[in-house]
Amino acid sequence: MMQSGNVTLDLLGWLITATLQWSTPLVLAALGGMFSERSGVVNIGLEGMMLIGAFSAAAVSGLTGSAWLGLLAGIGAGGLLAAVHALVCVTFKGNQIVSGAGVILFASGFTTVMLKVVWNQQGVGNQVPTIPDVVIQPILNIPVLGTAFGRVSPIIYIMFFTVALSYYVLYHTPFGLRVRSSGEDPSALDSAGVNVDHIRFIAVVISGCLSGLAGAYLSISFLNAFGKLMTSGRGFIALAALIFGNWTPIGCLLAGTFFGFLNGLQNTIQILNIPGVALYLNFVQMLPYVLVVVALAGIRRSVPPKAVGTAYEKEAKG
Amino acid sequence: MEQTESPSDVAAPTMMRSLEMWFLEKENAALTWGFWKPIVWAIVSIALSLLVSAVIMILSGYDPILAYTWLLYGILRQPDYVLYFATPLILTGLSVALAFKCGLFNIGAEGQVYLGSMAAAIIGYAIALPIFVHPLVCLAVGAGAGALWGFVPGLLKAYRGAHEVVTTMMLSYTAILFTQWLSTYPLREPGQVQMVPQLPQILSSAMIPKILGSHYLHLGIVLAIASVFVVDFIIKRTVLGYEMRAVGLNRDAAECAGIDPRRNMAIALGLSGALAGLAGSEEILGTYGRFIDHWSPSIGFDGITVAVLGRNHPWGCLLAAVFFGALRAGGTFMNLVARVPIEMVGVIQGLIVLFVAAPRINDWLAKNGVGYPIWIKNNPKVALPNFAALCLAAWSAVLAFGFCAVKGISTTLYVLFLVTAFLGIVAFVTTLSRRGHVLVLNSAIVALWLAIGVLDRLQFGGGTFITSVMVACVGLVISASLAWFSRRETKERRSKS
Repeated sequence: MMQSGNVTLDLLGWLITATLQWSTPLVLAALGGMFSERSGVVNIGLEGMMLIGAFSAAAVSGLTGSAWLGLLAGIGAGGLLAAVHALVCVTFKGNQIVSGAGVILFASGFTTVMLKVVWNQQGVGNQVPTIPDVVIQPILNIPVLGTAFGRVSPIIYIMFFTVALSYYVLYHTPFGLRVRSSGEDPSALDSAGVNVDHIRFIAVVISGCLSGLAGAYLSISFLNAFGKLMTSGRGFIALAALIFGNWTPIGCLLAGTFFGFLNGLQNTIQILNIPGVALYLNFVQMLPYVLVVVALAGIRRSVPPKAVGTAYEKEAKG
Repeated sequence: MEQTESPSDVAAPTMMRSLEMWFLEKENAALTWGFWKPIVWAIVSIALSLLVSAVIMILSGYDPILAYTWLLYGILRQPDYVLYFATPLILTGLSVALAFKCGLFNIGAEGQVYLGSMAAAIIGYAIALPIFVHPLVCLAVGAGAGALWGFVPGLLKAYRGAHEVVTTMMLSYTAILFTQWLSTYPLREPGQVQMVPQLPQILSSAMIPKILGSHYLHLGIVLAIASVFVVDFIIKRTVLGYEMRAVGLNRDAAECAGIDPRRNMAIALGLSGALAGLAGSEEILGTYGRFIDHWSPSIGFDGITVAVLGRNHPWGCLLAAVFFGALRAGGTFMNLVARVPIEMVGVIQGLIVLFVAAPRINDWLAKNGVGYPIWIKNNPKVALPNFAALCLAAWSAVLAFGFCAVKGISTTLYVLFLVTAFLGIVAFVTTLSRRGHVLVLNSAIVALWLAIGVLDRLQFGGGTFITSVMVACVGLVISASLAWFSRRETKERRSKS
């Protein structure tokens, strides 16, 4: 096998690209989950919201011919499904985990049915217009930098911007303070004259919008079509990244990028096709999952928001 | 709650007494609303979700009446097919429900199913045993493997505080990948040509026989129903079950009462894993005959749905599993004849779970369903325009959905009709709950219908022009009367104060 220095350098660039591509949906969905859980509503339905976002983005992009409209539709659809989740768990004080399971079931069934209705396909829908990549001409030919950042989806930039914005909103605005206190001690927030249910509802809808954006990235930027159950468990990994990242924006970014890196590494190994390693690719795939378990059990105890998982009732008994 | 062990000489009369007590208890329970409420709510949620699914079917161009007819026909035609689908669901449902009883959410039953089925499949083809012993050994090993995979997150939760939702999920993915590796490399059937990796066929002595002359249904159903008895007994009549329930209700209180919550949590998840492993093994031994990579039609995840609908009660799980089995079995017929995709069943299931999650929708329906007519009776002058708005909202929702189902209308009109329909539903709900904003919503509906009518007239043939304008005119009158009444009301209030 010929290995010149240039190829190795490009491999590094390629690894960075793969990491960015894999981590973007994870970070976005994890941020979504963060808003919801910091406000006190468990959202295991991220997977479902991503799926419906991916589907709507592809469908609208295909029907209207404009990928940006598709992106908006994906965000909107995720938000709409999240509103249903919020209606069940915030307005009607239902069980949040059960509702999340329902959201996932509904979304997986609904998007597969609609795949048949819209494109008359079983597995993968027709090709749709995608969001054009941002090309930075001057650095395109520099080995590592050019391969990594020369041609990048705008949603990756949006992801970094969203992390910064979430940090600002959560820690430096009144709304962020309300979200945080609604998850820690809702009765204190209530006694300050703020409607806890409103804050939670908004936070859950934000979480759906971000998950929808993550899904839209998959279907109209990363790929160019909607595939049956195309999120393939990314919502759950995002949930793990959220817990791994200790419910903070920066933590979500780091944990999501880490998981993305492991996936990118596995892709790189797959492409390199090293004879000995290919046999154990499944174990490389297992790595993120095992690491999460080890991290949760051994290294550090994650501290969830105190009131997460319980509906807030004014003057509750006890 | 606890039955202390009685000496052997008085065992028989005591048992009779306790049986009598048990029946009396059941009889009393059957008379109270607390017993019936969850059942009523389950039926209401099923009805509501069928209704919403029908709307989705209309919107996507399928005929819901045809679909439901064939769904029902499929269920009645092949009851054995129903039970065949229900068999693994009963076991995974029990698995999730048992963990729930101890306050734990076993979201990763799927991985335990895979590991159990892999272990059973290996014993099934690699070791030769006599005919009755072989399946039993396979089942026991499968359940053991599942129990191990449930016990690990149980221990981590109990002694390290690692959240079981995350650990079971992550270990589930790990197990699926591990079985994939086993079936792709070391244990793959020699000379196999199929794309999907699989293990060799299990020996015929390990197969669970089919029963009742059915092509699908096997003895596993008996095992599943027996498990319902066993789990019910464990939860209700043993010290372990009592302690698990106590930990599930209030961990701190249980600890104060001298119950070790850690031990119980670990055991609960272990037992839960054993049940999931059992589900996987009996599917391999009874149906598939070998381990195939990714064989499970997500029976582990469906177990959550079953447990939720069955309210974590063993017998409830049985009923829920049979219900979902019926949906699956009928769904294949629905797919074959009415051409509705089989995934529609998933939509119905998801909606049922969403409705079941929020029992207060039931209370809300009961309150407003009874309260609204009373309100109309008591002050008809204010209520009548409100009632008219309610009727208009319902009518425009139905009408708009109907127009959506018309083949070949333009995309713009389709979207407008869809928005109108949803707005109609929102208006109906707000009007029924007397929340206010009725006037705004009503006016919005009127504006939408006017826009549809004008657009249709100018751009596309004008097929709905007269209907739309008619609805808009009626809405305008209602809006005017609403506005007039609310103004008069505020005037009266002012003059009073």
